[in-house]
Amino acid sequence: MSQTCVEVRSEWSIVAARQAGRTIAKEVGFGSVDQARITTAISELARNIYLYAKVGEICIEKVVEANKVGVKVSASDNGPGIKDLRRVMEDGYTTSGGLGAGLPGVKRLMDEFLIDSKEGEGTKIHAVKWLR
Amino acid sequence: MKPSVAKLIETKREIISEDWLKKVEEVRREHHLENISDHVYTNTNKEFVEIILNAVGQGQESCDEQLSGFTERLIQLGWPLSYLTRGLQTFRKVILDTLFEDQEGKGDFEIYYEVESWVDEIVNTLVNEYSGSWENTVFLQKMALKELSAPLIPVFEHISVMPLIGTIDTERAKLIMENLLNGVIEHRSQVVLIDITGVPVVDTMVANHIIQASEAVRLVGADCILVGIRPEIAQTIVNLGIDLSKFPTKSTLKKGIASALEMTQKKIVKIEN
Amino acid sequence: MRIPILKLKEYLLVSVQIELDDQTALQFQEDILNKIHEEGSRGVVIDLTSVDFIDSFIAKVLGDVVDMSNLMGAKVVLTGIQPAVAITLVDMGILMHGVPTALDLEQGLEKLQQELEG
Repeated sequence: MSQTCVEVRSEWSIVAARQAGRTIAKEVGFGSVDQARITTAISELARNIYLYAKVGEICIEKVVEANKVGVKVSASDNGPGIKDLRRVMEDGYTTSGGLGAGLPGVKRLMDEFLIDSKEGEGTKIHAVKWLR
Repeated sequence: MKPSVAKLIETKREIISEDWLKKVEEVRREHHLENISDHVYTNTNKEFVEIILNAVGQGQESCDEQLSGFTERLIQLGWPLSYLTRGLQTFRKVILDTLFEDQEGKGDFEIYYEVESWVDEIVNTLVNEYSGSWENTVFLQKMALKELSAPLIPVFEHISVMPLIGTIDTERAKLIMENLLNGVIEHRSQVVLIDITGVPVVDTMVANHIIQASEAVRLVGADCILVGIRPEIAQTIVNLGIDLSKFPTKSTLKKGIASALEMTQKKIVKIEN
Repeated sequence: MRIPILKLKEYLLVSVQIELDDQTALQFQEDILNKIHEEGSRGVVIDLTSVDFIDSFIAKVLGDVVDMSNLMGAKVVLTGIQPAVAITLVDMGILMHGVPTALDLEQGLEKLQQELEG
């Protein structure tokens, strides 16, 4: 299964990651609304890496399960990790002066959302959107 | 099937079939099939037992074909699947009892094993046919529901109405939202009236979908008015603590249109002769 | 990359035609405020017809532009937000309350006129 990975190091890689995401979402057959959802989710995840971990990776791939296809987005970094997972998933909680819609937003935009983070070790996030 | 067992069944064929037809009468009553005429009922049962017993002689494949044709007809007639599976259970009992009768314990296990896998095969075919037909029905109904989903109707310049009818689930809500927004852009609507007269229940989820839709409409640059709020809906909305205060609402489409006209600086005038 | 800002009488017109990266968005924020200051504009229409997605960062920059322009005495209307973009924003819980919107440039200009007159 083809997988596209983008190394996140600068603001430009955020653009690169979401463009890669849009391309794959289109290939899988998502409509314009879901394309926007996936692209936006990738943008949020990539920006989080850039803001908090400085360096990390976004991987986007097509996934096939029993009788459905979808797009899986994985974000991983070896940054500072998240201290209080419950709080970052609350709407409006921000440490960067943003809208605080990032992670809870990604969770709502995608169908599946898994986050694993250890303080001092880094953060891994998997999110999947299924084709309806 | 082993030739020895097949031969045995073949010799007892008449007894098995008669015994089964008698016993299956009990099942009939449980499944409310009394209103089917005796003639049709007996014939169908006879045909069924024929097909199953034919499998012994002709082999599974040709039986499968007959069986699926037969099942298709039963589905159309509306015979419940549970009747057929119960019927087959009875059949298995009848056939084992008959075969064991004069075997005096010889080869019991072999017979049991052969009959078991034979009947299982038939049950599988039946269940497959039935569930295939159900899946098909569900698919068709889904399509029908999709077609029912909410058209946006332009009524005046810059004013459109979206009547919602029936229960709104998440899937439908998404579709409605997309229709609504695309329609707003297509018709260049400034005001959209969402009419919920035909929505039987407004719970927190439905209300939430409607609120989200109206927020999205506002983002693309139009306004929403919620109309058709019946007394019982107003009661549930307030009892559930749903906040619709940010959201213009009217009791009827007529009143909604009046305020939509106002919002777009229009009015309807009577022509004086 | 810079987003061109056009002047039409006492209004400023902006049509965002490129994919907004963070730097461009921030540059745009600065440019538009300077332009309002230079021209003494009373209203701004930002057309987003060709923007196919807005994430929380860009939404915040746009919301900030509206608030900042208001402080400087210029009303801002966002126009042409695409359905897919609107749905995504609502999904994320970004409702941009207090930001006036209109369907397209034409209706946006009308809305500005109404707001400034009324």
